[in-house]
Amino acid sequence: MDTAQALVMLMQGWGIIGALVAAVFLVIGIDRIDEDAQGAYIFRPLLIPGVLLIWPLVLWRWWQIESDAAAWAARYRPVRASYGPAVVLMSLGIIVIVIAGLSVRQSWPDEIAPVQLSAGADQ
Amino acid sequence: MSVKYTPVQWNANKWFYDAIMLASVAAFLWVFLYLTPQFDPATNPQIHNARAFGACAFVMLSVILCIGPLARLDRRFLPLLYNRRHFGVMTAFVAMTHAGYILNWYFNFSSSDKYVGLLYANSSFGQIAGFPFEIFGIFALICLLVLAATSHDFWLKFLTPPVWKRLHYLIYAAYFAVAAHISLGILQDQQNHIFTVLFMLGAGAVIVLHIAAWLAERRAPAAAKDGAWHEVAHSSDFKEGFAKIATLPNGDRVAVFLMEGKLSAIANACAHQNGPLGEGKIIDCLVTCPWHGFQYDVRSGRSPAPFTEKVPTYRIRLENGMVEVHPDANPPGTYVEPVEIVSQAPLMGEPA
Repeated sequence: MDTAQALVMLMQGWGIIGALVAAVFLVIGIDRIDEDAQGAYIFRPLLIPGVLLIWPLVLWRWWQIESDAAAWAARYRPVRASYGPAVVLMSLGIIVIVIAGLSVRQSWPDEIAPVQLSAGADQ
Repeated sequence: MSVKYTPVQWNANKWFYDAIMLASVAAFLWVFLYLTPQFDPATNPQIHNARAFGACAFVMLSVILCIGPLARLDRRFLPLLYNRRHFGVMTAFVAMTHAGYILNWYFNFSSSDKYVGLLYANSSFGQIAGFPFEIFGIFALICLLVLAATSHDFWLKFLTPPVWKRLHYLIYAAYFAVAAHISLGILQDQQNHIFTVLFMLGAGAVIVLHIAAWLAERRAPAAAKDGAWHEVAHSSDFKEGFAKIATLPNGDRVAVFLMEGKLSAIANACAHQNGPLGEGKIIDCLVTCPWHGFQYDVRSGRSPAPFTEKVPTYRIRLENGMVEVHPDANPPGTYVEPVEIVSQAPLMGEPA
């Protein structure tokens, strides 16, 4: 229970910090780093969920743009090399998990009496 | 294309695409909810709704994941790719509805907080049978929300296409998590084997298409090396209005276009989503990205005014009929004088 409560509190804390970052970024920061956003306000509420979820990335990129730290050429370098490993890992993972799932299925292939797996969590 | 950001960019094609998508989602849910017999007498409307939205989210995610490799393997599927982001956002909403039904039925009637209950109810992490499959669903939902929430064009420009793409590679982790969520969840208790078969067909299609697209891409030839300059192709191999794509030693791809008998080279990666510009066709001096329609002047790498997108350009030369590109890219938007092909034989696509 303590771990579950801690995780929920962590998520709440993440969201609160994200809300603060969203407020500052969408009111002040976005105008400083993107000329296309200057004078455009209606689309900004659409960005709030994204900032809430990935605010560390937002802060990192904001700092990169403000400090001109990113090399311009990196923007035009597609990440094709990662595609193969990503789809191979996904495919192998799916095959393994489906086989694992079906192998422990109690009603597969024939109906059998269900077995209680554990005594259950303490309430 | 940007200029000033708008909440959602609509056009007639997108309205049509979204209408078909919404009608398909509604039809799927209606068939599942009202035409599919309930094999398990223990289910109630709440559980049936949760299963309908869960199954719908899985099918939508499978279709989304099939569109990408299909478009790579066969360009006729490209129109399906153009508006895929609306499809993805809709999928996140459908998955969230599934999670809402689950939370508000299975975890809503105890003294503890329902979110704490969701994380606490099953902690049998040491076994496959009875594994807390909900954790896979939570992970997949978070991934889908991240992808949907960062789907606006602003995020592409702000994060840069490579960072944005890496973030959106979460879709593969999410699909694995969905497969695990289903395999260790509903499949353990499934009385109706039709869904089991449909699930395996959907996941199988995604796997086969992605592996096929990856293998097809691996077979693409790389440019031959020749000192500092890199050979792309013989000048007679070029076709008016189209490009040859070459891979440079640093991994960058360059698209060399033939326009009005002259050669120009720009980065193959579109400034929007790094789409393959070299697969586009030149119309009125502008190449159109086959993914989302962004356009660039191949001589300068600049989008036509009032748009502001730019891509890097490359120096180009002809050596004994061989077209060569210098691997050092010019800053985006740098004009490079096109190189004229002086040919004895007619070029491909030109009348003899």
